[in-house]
Amino acid sequence: MAILEIKDVSKFFGGLAANLDVTFEIQKGMIMGLIGPNGAGKTTLFNCITGYYPPSRGEIVFDGRRMNGLHPDAVCKLGMARTWQKVRPLAKMTVVDNVMVGALCRTNSLAKAREMAIEQIKVVHLENREAFQAGSLPIGERKKLEVARVLATQPKLLLLDEVMGGLNPAESDEIIQLILDIKKLGITQMVIEHDMKAIMRISDRIVVLNSGEKLAEGSPEEIVSNKAVVHAYLGESNA
Amino acid sequence: MRPLTNNMRGIAAIPVLLGLVTVIVLFLIPKFVHSTYALHMMILIFISIIMGSGWNLLGGYTGQYSVGHAAYFGAGTYTTMILLQYHHLAPWYGVWAGAIMAVIVALVIGSICFRLRGPYFVLASIAVAEIFRVSALNLKNLTNGAEGILITEVPPLRIGGMVITDFMSKVPFYYAGLVIVLVVILVTWRVQNSKLGYYFQAIREDQDAAHSLGINLSLYKNIALSLSAIFTSLAGSLYGLYVGFIDPGTVLGLDLSVQIVMTVIIGGIGTIFGPVIGALVLVPFSEALRSNMIAQALIDSGLVREDSGFGVFLKEQLSHAHVLIYGILLVVVIMYMPDGVMGFIKKLAAKGRKVEAA
Repeated sequence: MAILEIKDVSKFFGGLAANLDVTFEIQKGMIMGLIGPNGAGKTTLFNCITGYYPPSRGEIVFDGRRMNGLHPDAVCKLGMARTWQKVRPLAKMTVVDNVMVGALCRTNSLAKAREMAIEQIKVVHLENREAFQAGSLPIGERKKLEVARVLATQPKLLLLDEVMGGLNPAESDEIIQLILDIKKLGITQMVIEHDMKAIMRISDRIVVLNSGEKLAEGSPEEIVSNKAVVHAYLGESNA
Repeated sequence: MRPLTNNMRGIAAIPVLLGLVTVIVLFLIPKFVHSTYALHMMILIFISIIMGSGWNLLGGYTGQYSVGHAAYFGAGTYTTMILLQYHHLAPWYGVWAGAIMAVIVALVIGSICFRLRGPYFVLASIAVAEIFRVSALNLKNLTNGAEGILITEVPPLRIGGMVITDFMSKVPFYYAGLVIVLVVILVTWRVQNSKLGYYFQAIREDQDAAHSLGINLSLYKNIALSLSAIFTSLAGSLYGLYVGFIDPGTVLGLDLSVQIVMTVIIGGIGTIFGPVIGALVLVPFSEALRSNMIAQALIDSGLVREDSGFGVFLKEQLSHAHVLIYGILLVVVIMYMPDGVMGFIKKLAAKGRKVEAA
């Protein structure tokens, strides 16, 4: 069953088409990879899906409900949550408080929110950082905090925007494991990632964007052997 | 950095006890202190705390730096004073009408200014408050324009048939101020320890992140603004009734807006007691400057000779320079105590703990 349907979604900034007639579906429980060269419109698509931009054309259907025109807070309450390419910790609040802000989306009680937050902090293995200020964490831990915070909003669909960006290989491995753990929790994920090895490993299916348009869609094996994709990434072959 | 200890319960008992003693002492002061000047200073400090704490809810916790809070101060005090002077409605009801008026003004201003962020919000808040000042200056039928409103009598406060107080001395204003101070501190504490406080602070730290975590930005910003406006208007009404005279320049001016912000910046932004400390520092300080107390003290102590050129200069000019010295104080605080006096104290305490641990 499709949890998210993207139907002919376009987004124009003036005359520039950041997304042009993008169409695909995400099935429940899977990990969908979203890749493409810089400027392909991946983050724009995320912003359209999560309510930061209204799409210029087309339709976004989440869990059977049309999402066009909803604000990001309403989108989050309906069960779709995103992280940011550039991490956005609530710097002067502690790690636990950061995650509690997410949990408060589902409860009005601070005690309950704290309980939920501590649970999610365990999922991302930040237990020993609970009382630290979010702004004092190194980048790898900030990314994990970001994930714990959106998990606390109890999403059905999680959109991760380059959670491995700027991380060293060991940290990236931890995030890969984390994404697979989250899949086991039954949460559907869409992942933007530049690290090809990582995205091939975790994705059940991959959509490739290029200059705002969908270039290809398929299993990781199909994508690596797709000539158009290789061309988009590496340019014209001289051989 | 070191993580905070979770041994909070034991530590909290001391401040609570200290707070209770302070409150009892404050309630007893008018019984023993009969100096009208001392009571006058206390009332001014109370008013400053109330408006500072009101601003703190929006500026300190929610991160929306309004430099137009005079609009709410003015909306409150003008409503109360007009109802009292021209419609003979007792201030006991008037102040609530003033608070409601301030909330209405707040929602109008919010709908305009909250579209903007950062410095643009600040500029818009100043501009909109100026509109209110200029309007009050020109709507002569309603506000009596630049001549202002002079209260000729404050009817006694009655509950049932009993006269509680006639407002003839400073004492009732002292108690009114003290009660509102306690309420605003309690409300701030309650907000800080609730979902509201978490959402306010999330908005302060990062609006986009807050939005993506399910926080309705305009709803929570308007809640913060409304709470803020209520207390600022109460401070305004208390001021108007106490002084007995208001005019647009005093209660709607940019000077007042800046003074409100400064109280909180100096005391410590986004903390419960920041505005209290700010008021305790600023009100006596500006009073001392204005009343030439500092110049006189310097001369009396023998540091400066009264008949020297410098002594004459101080005596004649220092009181005019209080705005300048205010500014210098602000610069010093921002340079050496970027988180205000409260932040400075916390830093010292943390240093002390570190030394203890070593």
